[in-house]
Amino acid sequence: MTAPLRAAGPRGRALERDLTALLGPFAASCAPADLWAMSRDCWPRSLLWTKTGIAPHPPDVVVWPASTEEVAAVVRFAGERQVPVVPFGAGSGVCGGAVPLKGGIALDLKRLSGPPCVDLPARTVDVEAGMNGQRLEELLGAAGATLGHFPSSIYCSTVGGWLAARSAGQLSSRYGKIEDIVLAVEAVDGTGAILRTQDAPSAGPDLTQILVGSEGTLAIVTKARLRCWPAPTGRWMRGVRFASVQAGMAGIRSVMRSGLRPAVARLYDPLDTLLAARGGSGGHAVPEPLRWVVEGAQAEALRLALRAPLVLNRLVDALPASSLLILGFEGEGASGSADAREEGEAALALVAAEGGEDLGPSPGEKWLANRYKISYRQSPLFSAGAFVDTMEVATTWDRLDALYGAVRHAVASHAFVMAHFSHAYLEGCSIYFTFVGLAGAPAGASDHEDLEEAEERYDACWNAALSAACDSGATLSHHHGVGVHKQVFLPREHGEGMRQLRALKQAFDPRGILNPGKLLL
Amino acid sequence: MNELRDDLAATGSAVVAEGAGLRVTPPSVAALGRAVAVLRGHLLPVRVRGNGDAPVEAPPGGALIELTALDRIASVDAATGIARVEAGCSVAALETAARRAGATLGPLLPSVRAGSLGAWLAGPTRGERGIPGARRETAALSVAAVLADGRLAESRAAPRSATGPDLDHLALGGSGRLCVVAAAWIRLFPAAPPAYAAWKAPDLAAAIGMVQGLCADRIAPARGMLRLQDGAALVALSWEGPGAARLQRGRAVRALGEPLAVDAGPEVRAPPSSRGVEVDARWEALGAFARRRGAAEIALYGLHAGGAFAVLSLAEETVEECAAAARGPGARLVAPRRLRESGPSWPEMGAAAAWDRLVTALGTEEDRSEERAPPATGGAPPGAQHGSEKLR
Repeated sequence: MTAPLRAAGPRGRALERDLTALLGPFAASCAPADLWAMSRDCWPRSLLWTKTGIAPHPPDVVVWPASTEEVAAVVRFAGERQVPVVPFGAGSGVCGGAVPLKGGIALDLKRLSGPPCVDLPARTVDVEAGMNGQRLEELLGAAGATLGHFPSSIYCSTVGGWLAARSAGQLSSRYGKIEDIVLAVEAVDGTGAILRTQDAPSAGPDLTQILVGSEGTLAIVTKARLRCWPAPTGRWMRGVRFASVQAGMAGIRSVMRSGLRPAVARLYDPLDTLLAARGGSGGHAVPEPLRWVVEGAQAEALRLALRAPLVLNRLVDALPASSLLILGFEGEGASGSADAREEGEAALALVAAEGGEDLGPSPGEKWLANRYKISYRQSPLFSAGAFVDTMEVATTWDRLDALYGAVRHAVASHAFVMAHFSHAYLEGCSIYFTFVGLAGAPAGASDHEDLEEAEERYDACWNAALSAACDSGATLSHHHGVGVHKQVFLPREHGEGMRQLRALKQAFDPRGILNPGKLLL
Repeated sequence: MNELRDDLAATGSAVVAEGAGLRVTPPSVAALGRAVAVLRGHLLPVRVRGNGDAPVEAPPGGALIELTALDRIASVDAATGIARVEAGCSVAALETAARRAGATLGPLLPSVRAGSLGAWLAGPTRGERGIPGARRETAALSVAAVLADGRLAESRAAPRSATGPDLDHLALGGSGRLCVVAAAWIRLFPAAPPAYAAWKAPDLAAAIGMVQGLCADRIAPARGMLRLQDGAALVALSWEGPGAARLQRGRAVRALGEPLAVDAGPEVRAPPSSRGVEVDARWEALGAFARRRGAAEIALYGLHAGGAFAVLSLAEETVEECAAAARGPGARLVAPRRLRESGPSWPEMGAAAAWDRLVTALGTEEDRSEERAPPATGGAPPGAQHGSEKLR
């Protein structure tokens, strides 16, 4: 941040005074640093803002409630004054879902992080929404349990954020996404009413599933009951090489359709396969221009290379076509290792029938050891003058290859593109695309004109990618959510369902104060 | 009424008077949309019935929409594990078509199997069934639902998505109150011979404990039959999945000990008692029922770590007494339909006001300005998407 932090306006100072009176000392602030911290999340566009030294959407005030009742009091207070309320977890969202587009109250939920209540025999844990993901997993681990939910953002995301955007963890094929893990929630709707859904059979539409994924536009989740499991005692990991991505897709489908439940099933496209093999023996070297792109090395050369993304993508097409599948199984209890090995070997037989070659445990173990690092490799690229973003779309097996090809083709002239396939189900799979495009000047030299050009390129890349995904019949998001970023495409996703979405908004937030400007609401 | 009848006939649907209401049979999804728009425009109560669902009369002053002509199975793709089906199709017909293609819906409650697809999805089980990993999920990959103004809302057929609230859940379990299920993409399992095994337990409560333990260890069976037999309880279980069934059975044997030397297949597949009630229940509720004097049989479906669908039977008592015994510890009735609670649980969750606003916003409120006679079939709510009364 190079520009001076913006001071709070009169509305912010008045809100700070009134909210302090409502919740007590230190529960609200309109200090410039607090407003800046809540003005953005990890949406790459907001990283471009930061690089340029601007914060276009600061809240008026930040408030830190300590209980569900305090959240309800803040929402009622905001409703009376018609002030927007934007819930904020840890700010790791990548779609701008926590950006206070219309100012108002940034409701930071991190004080809602009391000790979780673990009932391992019942396989449940009750946890507050502000609990950090890694901290929760550590506390569960101390009780011999795991949630099995390991998003790449686990160090900087919260339970509330997971539920708001329908998060997925790296082991989702075994444990499910967060909407599969959640059993019940406590939430505050836009009228300030406290809703408590049931962890028991209920009649009528499933209220939990209607609130989960609403990105704070219908209600603010304050607590949740989640399914937990005994921590695994055994793990079996393998790398499997296929002659092509398509053969690899057939391999994953075969495993999933068999009823086996791998903890990990990740298939890399040729470049990702080369990158994953780096450091190993016998692998191909990553060609130089591609190495600049993926590592952010040689800033000048990187920006030059990104001026011709089509050439870079054609270089990838010329790489050896092999595709790496990381396959992993887990087991619990005394026979955990044996169970994991037994299922793993059954899966190996299935993928062998699809042409998969067993590479042994090393690629899988390497992936396991490095699985969170990739998300932290983006900063050098931004600093060097690139933008990096990821798109996670999903579809059924019969459409998966067409989706893969269509998105790659659509984005090829806008950005360099890589992909891997993860989060597999009986009926289909998610594809995780990574785009690297030219943003402009390196950090420290970026100005407003540079930002405008960068945003144009960024938008062109995304419009091409999302159009291709829509045309292929895929869902626009598998686990990042919609936020501001993808919302213009939401009518193509939901069609007439937009009427249902707007009806839900009227039902749960009739004053329209909860996170306005997201999900087209 | 004549004007209404003309409006409905103009939708392309067959319309006949029935008691104090009308019976409307749309020939297509588009005609269904037009008919719903006419009926909702008049704020009339609507009931929906598909193939296999129990006979029901039109609500007084309202309409019964018969989906019997919407019974097409447009496609069955066993390799992907999906089928495109209209809501009026019977679940039994869909299972037959799936089997022909080498796929299956998996084990389902008898009333679900006897009714229509629309009733299954809109009914109290929300189309859910057990999936590997001791979990449960809806069979509907995507739902096409008719809104009050007749438009069709259809979600993307993706295994999961993160594009806002799950709008399918306005149709699933909604009994047709918020929208009417017209068609769906349905998830199918590969069909393969199950693996079976049976054990003896001291009593039914112990039998429930054994199965609950398996589910907690992620060895959830696809189906189970627990029955009192010769002063003890028989625990007959099956696992499905071409690559997983045998492994799961092996793990269950390691957990529970050597199984009985009997062919457990016929025991598992035996139809549950016709005097039972179908419930959705947590393990605690199933355990409490099992401890009740007279508890004779518990057939299990859709097992997961938290509970299961079950058919509960008492040795002597009536279905009503059995229902009372199930409700006591917290089980929720699925069938018989006449004993089921009619309203949504949202008021119990603090969402009564939100429900009312939602009904208004979706335009599905009904004219309650005059008292209407209760429907002949009992407590069925207006707007209900009907199910089967059959237990097998």
